[in-house]
This record gives sequence, C-alpha cells and structure tokens, in this order.
Amino acid sequence: MISVSNRFGYNMRVGFPKFWMLFYVVLFFIFLLGPIFIVVSISFTETEFVAFPPKGFSWKWYERFFEYEPFVDSFIVSVELAIATALLGAGLGVPAALAVTRGKVPYANTIMTFLLSPLSMPLIVVGFALLFYLSAIGFGVSFISLLIAHTVISLPYVVRTVAGVYRGISPDYEESAAVLGANRIQIFWHVTLPMIKPGIFAGMLFAMLISIDNLPISFFFGSADTNTLPVVMLSYLEHQFDPSVAAASSIQLIVAVIGLFIVERIYGLDAMTPAS
Amino acid sequence: MTDKVRRASAGFSGVVSPWWIGVTALFLVVFFVLPIINNLLNTDQLATLAKQRPAIFYYEKLFTDPYYLRIVADTIILSVGVTVICIIIGYPVALFLVRHSGKWSGFIIFLLIAPLLTSIIMRTFGWRVLFARRGLLNDFLLWLDAIEKPIMFLNGPTSAVIGLVHVLVPFMVLSIASVLRSIDLQLEESARILGASRFKTFLKVTFPLSLDGIGTGFIIVFLLANGSFVTLLLLGGGDLKTLPLLIYQQFTISRDFQFAAAMSNVLLAIAVGCLYLQLRLIKRKGVKG
Repeated sequence: MISVSNRFGYNMRVGFPKFWMLFYVVLFFIFLLGPIFIVVSISFTETEFVAFPPKGFSWKWYERFFEYEPFVDSFIVSVELAIATALLGAGLGVPAALAVTRGKVPYANTIMTFLLSPLSMPLIVVGFALLFYLSAIGFGVSFISLLIAHTVISLPYVVRTVAGVYRGISPDYEESAAVLGANRIQIFWHVTLPMIKPGIFAGMLFAMLISIDNLPISFFFGSADTNTLPVVMLSYLEHQFDPSVAAASSIQLIVAVIGLFIVERIYGLDAMTPAS
Repeated sequence: MTDKVRRASAGFSGVVSPWWIGVTALFLVVFFVLPIINNLLNTDQLATLAKQRPAIFYYEKLFTDPYYLRIVADTIILSVGVTVICIIIGYPVALFLVRHSGKWSGFIIFLLIAPLLTSIIMRTFGWRVLFARRGLLNDFLLWLDAIEKPIMFLNGPTSAVIGLVHVLVPFMVLSIASVLRSIDLQLEESARILGASRFKTFLKVTFPLSLDGIGTGFIIVFLLANGSFVTLLLLGGGDLKTLPLLIYQQFTISRDFQFAAAMSNVLLAIAVGCLYLQLRLIKRKGVKG
C-alpha cells in the first residue's frame, strides 16, 4: 500500500493529540503500578508497623517471612503445586491443542470452546463445586484435590498458548516429514516439538503463575498441610496488619516478574494476552 | 509442493492422534462439568442434619427476601458499573498502545500484564495503605487544604470499586487493543482525506469499528468482577455484599453449605448467560480461532 499520508502530507492521526494521550497514559500507569510500588517499598521499612513512606531500610520483614512457619510451609506447598499443575496441564493440554488445531477433527471450534470454558466460570463456583464432588468420590481436602482443581483452571492457558504458536507454523514441515516416511512419533519428536517448544514453555509458565496466585479455589481446600501462600496471607491479614505480608507479596512478585521476563525473551508477550 | 507430494501427504492427519482430545475432554468432563452439574442437582446432599430443607427453599429465599434480592441486584450492578468504568478508563490507553506507542508497545504490554501476576492480596494491601485514615491520600488532601479532617475512604463501596477497577482494567485495555490493531488504517485515512476532523474520524470510523473489542472486554471484565470476592472482603468493609462474598462467608462463618450452593448456582447462571452472549458475538464476527 502506498502511504497516502506521505503523498498528501495529511496528519492521519485520529482521536486526541499525542501529547495529551501520553500524559493520560502516564497517569494511568501511576494508578496501575502505584499500589504495587507502595507495597514493595513498605516491605523494607524499619518500623514495626505499616508506614508509607517507609522509614530506614532493613531486611527484617523478609527475615520474619522465613521465620514464620506457616508462610514458609505454605510457600513450599504453593511452589510444589505450581510445578505439578504446569506438568499435568502440559501433559493434558499440549496433545489436545495440537490435535484440535490441525488434526482434521469435526467440530474443532466447538471442542476448542469447551477446552477454554473453565476461563469463563467464576472461580469460587468451580472451587465450591469441586470441594464437595472430590470429597464425595474420596479425594477430600488433599494435595491431589488441589492439583486437580488448579489443573482445571490452568488448562485453558496451556491450550491457548500452544494452539496459538502451532497455528503460526506452516504444516509443510510435518507433511514433508510424513512424505519422507517418518512416523507420528518421529515427526512429533524431531519436527513439531522443537518448533512449538516456546509455546509449551510459555503455557506452562502461565499455568504456574495462575496456580501460585490463586485464592478463590485454594481456600476451599485449606488445611494445615494444603494451605497455599495466598490462603495463609489472607488469614494473616484478617488478624494483623504488619509489613511481613508486604515482604511475602514482594517475594511472590519477584518470582512472577522473573518468569515474565523469560517468556518475553523467548516468546514475546503480544501473542499471549488474555484477550487474544 | 507438487501434486504428487500433496497426494502422498493427504493421508497425514496431524501429528497427534485426535484421540488425545478425548483424554483431555474426559478430564474436563469428570473434574469440571460433573462437579458443576452435581452442585446444580444435588444441593440436598449438602444438608446438615440440623437443618434439612429442600433446595427450592434457598432459591425462594434468594429471590423473595428483600435482603438477599438486594445482594443479587448489587452483584450485577457492581459488576456492570466496574465494567463501564474500565471501558472509559481503558479505551484511551488501548488507542495509545495501538496507534502511538511504536517501539514501546512491548514495554507497555509488559507494564499492563505485570500487575496481573502480582497477588491480589498485594494490590488490596497497597490500596489499604493509600486509603488509610492517616494514609498518603488523606495526608495529600490535608496538605492541599482540600479537606479539614481525614476522610474514611476505606471500608466502603468507593474503595472496593477502585480496587476492582485496578485489578480488571488491564483485561479491558488488552481486549480493545487487539481489535483496534485489526482496523484497516486506510478507512481512517479516507475519512481524513475526505475532510473529516480527527475527532469526527474517531467517532464515525474508529470507535464503531472497535465495538467488538469493547464487547469482548465487557464480557471478560463483567465475568471476573462477578466472581471476585477478595477485593470486596479486604476493601469493602462489609457494607457492600455480593454473591461471591456471601458464598465465602456462608462457607467460612455460617457453614450453611446448601445456601452457598444455591448462591453459587445463581452465579453460575449469570456466567452461562455471559458465555452465550460471547458465543453469539464470536459467531457474528465470523469464526476466529
């Protein structure tokens, strides 16, 4: 396309002048990131109470986090659960995403909608329904129950990310391999897998982040052995208000930001926005 | 590819056997669909011996008792209100992201997504500090002489709405941006060349074409607002009650599971209604991955 604006010298912008939009966007991000910045800075305060601006600098609330057993125990549960969720989610989600995208199955769109449908259910409904259902069939309040519940809600993220990457890869590679006599397993292992690896990785990371932050489902399955970090933080906040929760939040944030940076490096964030 | 090769590859039906879909679908049927159906049909099994009532009693209570009717209404009003605020606040950001951000777009998307991955507790904690009686906002307003004594921002509908908008507005921006990105720029250029001002072009061309994005964003944000309770629990202070918050309280305090089940089914009905709207919207747009 020849750019008309260049030929006629028109200003082709629409809406408001750029300067005012930039000003607005800066305000928007102050609103969006301000509360997070406040919490991170509070986690370094020397005072015994929540104070902003914080006074002095100390690591003592981080030390407190690692000394307070419920925090540490639940943090370990959260990390184990996140990893297990990502593995089970990938095991179930990757083959299904590949088959739906290019498997010549009937009603592919309907199946895709079904695989993504847990996204549209209120989490508190899923958690409540699963608690009684899993108790009735004998799983009860356990790590396995948590794992099942978290996998249900993370699966759509794995499916969507993997399907998105796979759709962008030409089928010629796989078809060529098939013509040259490779069987399904060989094609998957030597052709498909290397190309969709970034999608699998990103999807698993997303599943981990969804799991590690989840509260509306995890709190139904809370017990001494199965409390996740957000559940412990919530009950802590309901009884006391001190900077150790700020430290716990900051630790969780660091984990998430590192994960996000890795994804952005190998995959780009554009393709995995929740609305895409 | 030559015809010969294409014929040879025609027998190839995907690298993964379609049967794999069955495994995953079975998992979702057993651990997602059946639990919800079970909750829908067998509310009675949750009855504790002390107060055994038929399920219909609870639905009647929800829809006839003015106190609970108010909560059902408040849930919907709050979700719609939060969604509309998200559209108004988020639209200019989406427009900027798509049209003006240039090489910064990756960075802006990163800034939008980063808060989504911080814990919801962290964000409500931040707002509690800002809104506290001796918090930053009150100090600032006192310093401006805009107020004489600290205002109680916390524990009211206002702080709950701000908290919810803060959590949900990135979803709206991303939904609108993904549709704005697909608009053919030549349409806007034509309008400008034919003499429309930049505002008129926006109102008559860009905005109508982006309505699909607003629709998708509306459904996503409405659904999320409809199901959230942590923000209301920590910022709302109990004045403003919604169905998810009541489910949480029925579960943790009153332990009336039958009533909680009835409420979660009402919430489910609202979500299914939204899902239906979403499917109609997708169908209208033509099939889109």
